[in-house]
Amino acid sequence: MSASFTDAQLAAFLAGTLVDEALIDAIEVAINADPDLAARTEALAAGHEIDPLVQAAFAPVLDAPVPERLIAAATMRDAPDEAEVVSLDEVRAARSRAAPIPANDTARGSWGWAQIGAMAASLALGVMIGGPLLKAGSDAPQGASLVLASADLDAMLDNAPSGQLVELAALGQGEVVLTFRNIDGQLCRQFMIESVGGATSDALACAGGAGEGWQIEAYGRRAAPIGEMRLAGGDAAPAVIAAVDAMIDSDPLIGADEATELSKK
Amino acid sequence: MNTDETTRQALVALIPRLRRFARVLTGNMADADDVVQACLEKAMLNLDQWQPGTRLDAWVFRIARNHWLDNRRRAHNRMGHDDISEMPDLVGDDGVAVVEAGDEARMVRAAVDALPPDQRDVVALVILEEMSYREAADTLGLPIGTVMSRLSRAKAALAKRIAGTGAVQ
Repeated sequence: MSASFTDAQLAAFLAGTLVDEALIDAIEVAINADPDLAARTEALAAGHEIDPLVQAAFAPVLDAPVPERLIAAATMRDAPDEAEVVSLDEVRAARSRAAPIPANDTARGSWGWAQIGAMAASLALGVMIGGPLLKAGSDAPQGASLVLASADLDAMLDNAPSGQLVELAALGQGEVVLTFRNIDGQLCRQFMIESVGGATSDALACAGGAGEGWQIEAYGRRAAPIGEMRLAGGDAAPAVIAAVDAMIDSDPLIGADEATELSKK
Repeated sequence: MNTDETTRQALVALIPRLRRFARVLTGNMADADDVVQACLEKAMLNLDQWQPGTRLDAWVFRIARNHWLDNRRRAHNRMGHDDISEMPDLVGDDGVAVVEAGDEARMVRAAVDALPPDQRDVVALVILEEMSYREAADTLGLPIGTVMSRLSRAKAALAKRIAGTGAVQ
């Protein structure tokens, strides 16, 4: 069958210079049915004079600035348009419900990403998910949690005293509102973030110990943006207030005490 | 840095090429960016379905194209103006050369935008992405001869339109 077409015909076929529509169709059918003919034709492939024109015509798209929403989609730092509050306990509970599903079940993987995406959106922060929470395997440690990915935020939690407004570059402004030790002795900090867009989020993070950094224990978005940062009070997201109430096991740490505790975390 | 994070960075790096691919598919940047956003979201949701060692770009292009096939009836289809020529980087030092290059590029884009959808797919992958016929066939889920014939017809149509305007001797 291969022999029934000449190289010239095949090259013309590739170049788009055959005018006989029936011949084009016949060659297509023959190539689809004959791997040898396909290979022979592939070997005849050559650049076409219009290729560089087409490439140049669409090159500006490659050089154009990428819209923020697309980067957000690839990093799941979605623009926060859905106020949603999810507690880590809910995630863990849902996870354990999902446990009997085989590890390679795609629905389970999708569930995890969707939930986590919603959580990231609710926090309006650059959060990265700790590997263990995402892995479908059953050996994920119990302590799997959200892990802060923002160096600015990490630095604020590591160093900033309560009540000090901190610039967080792309995230907006942040402020630690409360520092305390929880019932396990971990240092925990409640903080708020006012994003550049004006949305305010509250979160509670506790030091993971053993150099694991800060882990988010609770977070939520406030119902409406507020114009300016406020000190800790009743207007923080309910999920965060509830988590603080449940975990706090020391007086609020302030001033020199806070600095001392931060230094030993 | 874990594998997921590495893959995410690779996805971010792919965005410009993905926008170009989607622009050729959809014919306009507004629809293209909607397709890219949906595609990236789907890719993130299904990252565990991508097989390391295979081409991430081909996997993502396939997601984008499938999304477009499923959703194009809802698209804006804003045609009639050339949105790429409005991109800021076309402005250069040599005003005349830029305008001439811009005119030619505009005409080539119009010719590509006028192709039937199933020819734009192969133009995007073989001419712009410089995939082999085999790679394009695998990405589009088509027999290789069909990819060849579609590109053949696309090239004929482009050559005819472009030659008619003097850009190709």
